[in-house]
Amino acid sequence: MGLAAGNRKVAEILNSTRKEGRRELMELESKRVLAAWGVPVNRTELARDISEAVKVAREVRYPIVLKIASPDIIHKSEAKGVKVGLSSELELRQSFGDLIDNARAYKPDAKILGVTIQEYLPPAREVIVGALQDPSFGATVMFGLGGVWVEVLEDISFRLAPLSAEDAREMIQEIKGYSVLAGIRGTPPADVGALVDIIQKVGQLAHEFSEIAEMDLNPIFTFDDGKGAVVADARIILVESG
Amino acid sequence: MSNEVKAIFEPKSVVLVGASDRVREGIVSPAFFHSLVHNMHRFFKGKIHVVDLSGKLEGAIKNLNRVPRGRDLAVVVLPPKLVMKNWRNLLNLVIKAIVLVAGGFDQQQREKLARGVAKRKVCILGPNATAGVINTSNGLCATLERGFMPSRGGIAVISQDSAVGMAILDWARFYGVGVGKFASTGDSVDVTEADLLEFLMHDKETKVICIYLQTVRDGRRFLGLIREAVRKKPVVVMKGGTAQDERDKIFAASLKQVGAIRVGIVEELLGVADALAKQPPMPGDRVAVVTNVDGAATLVADALSRKGFALAKLSDKVTKKITKKYQDINIVEWVDLGIGAKDDRYKFVLEQVLSDHGVDGVVVINELKLSFLEPEDVQAIAEVAEKSKDKPIVSVTVAGGAGVLVREAVKGKNVPVYDSPEKAVRALDALRSYWKTRTKVEKGV
Repeated sequence: MGLAAGNRKVAEILNSTRKEGRRELMELESKRVLAAWGVPVNRTELARDISEAVKVAREVRYPIVLKIASPDIIHKSEAKGVKVGLSSELELRQSFGDLIDNARAYKPDAKILGVTIQEYLPPAREVIVGALQDPSFGATVMFGLGGVWVEVLEDISFRLAPLSAEDAREMIQEIKGYSVLAGIRGTPPADVGALVDIIQKVGQLAHEFSEIAEMDLNPIFTFDDGKGAVVADARIILVESG
Repeated sequence: MSNEVKAIFEPKSVVLVGASDRVREGIVSPAFFHSLVHNMHRFFKGKIHVVDLSGKLEGAIKNLNRVPRGRDLAVVVLPPKLVMKNWRNLLNLVIKAIVLVAGGFDQQQREKLARGVAKRKVCILGPNATAGVINTSNGLCATLERGFMPSRGGIAVISQDSAVGMAILDWARFYGVGVGKFASTGDSVDVTEADLLEFLMHDKETKVICIYLQTVRDGRRFLGLIREAVRKKPVVVMKGGTAQDERDKIFAASLKQVGAIRVGIVEELLGVADALAKQPPMPGDRVAVVTNVDGAATLVADALSRKGFALAKLSDKVTKKITKKYQDINIVEWVDLGIGAKDDRYKFVLEQVLSDHGVDGVVVINELKLSFLEPEDVQAIAEVAEKSKDKPIVSVTVAGGAGVLVREAVKGKNVPVYDSPEKAVRALDALRSYWKTRTKVEKGV
């Protein structure tokens, strides 16, 4: 997709979310925004019923990840709306029903669109890239390693957007846990170059679309050097409409 | 706005306005107004008019209308009500800038001030610019501490808060650090830190710009100007009120991104600024330590290691040159000149060390000077330091009293002197960081 087309596509998704009176984009929508902007995401498709799910799963190929798709359910794990690594149609049929039931139990009045069928990613080093609009500095990008690194140790770095490749590289190297990415005890280095690219793109996106209040790409699976990085889950929240 | 901002620091004519009739407390009391008048008469080289609305002060004019029009700058020590009452007259009088010393203006009054200056091409510093403005090169001393004038130097200080601003100047005087320009911005209805930064980055006399902030105003523009300024000269930033600020991490990161040097306390600000004003940026991590005592060098080496510096290994050629001339000089981790080292040794060894390609900067220790200090020793260090154009030299003592003596002996010379290894190493760290910034700028990153 060309730059202008990407730009239009992003605007289109943000507008339609707004029109529906929502501020939070669903995972599927967030990933479409990112994909249109050139950020690699794992393949993610909507299936409205079981027969669609079976068909889509064949295309995506097993193993797959199954997640509930509802504009009213943001915390999908909390709603027991996620199954990872389903390897057959049998498992899919079983899990599909469970996910819908769980969602109804979690939030009876939630509008449920169906599920998303997602490409399963092999284990990798997980990182987080976020963005926010700072009241005095504008679009700001955040980087950290996943899990306890961010939640407990608050090991995160910031930069203002837009940022140069060198800025992005510095913010990756600045975190205390950087050696996890650089490679310790014989592990090969992770694809930091792919992360630099994602960070720059997220910064550019937040800079150009100031109606995006927050972005959270979490987790991003970072493979060994040369093998890329892929966004496995994402959330985009729009600013309150004036 | 830069032409008006220029008049804040470089007015040809200044009107000082106060009222000393009623006994007032605080910043608009006659005592402060009289100090201002005293300071300006004592130091300022341009034309001065004093207006005392109460007519009490000897030699002062009572009526604003009787001051010749077209004055560059007015410094006003009046409470908000009196400022507003005389606002039109003030605007008629002044063609460039007005400093409002007192604070306490309400929203409506502030708006009226802003409207007034928007119409004419006049700028306002303040209100609440209590510490006023100083320019040591033309003697402008529009400040309220009686007789207070820093020594001349290449550092410019902008302070949002007046008390902290005065404290910075006070410590500058204590440490013999020279200041060129100073301004407190206060509540900034008009001129902000960013406006002053824009002026100072082009100011030839200013070598280093120091900024003390409590609130970041107009953040994007401010950071953009820092990015522009560091192409020409270093910018040092200190911020108060960080304990309550969850967004401080973002501020810290953005300062780093635009190439500013951040400091945490006033002494650090001055130490770092002094080095940046007096010595060239440091092109690497390798530091040679030249000392007359072993123990102090040990502590300096520890401090260097904590900041990621390495001890430089001198080349055989330089080592031989030094030991050929002075057989008793010991060179292992550092260069030990011996306790009785005099000016000739310091000078020769420092010159040799600086010529070594494996050295990026030098820390020189001149210790145990309480009972015998020969000023020539220290001046020899200053002499070499002033000639060094591509590698910095900083001087340090571990002892405080000796530090005072050494500092006194090189007062006004271009070598920064510190009284602890940490301070000296922090200064090198800033010089190294500014070198990196300059390199990035030159590469166009």
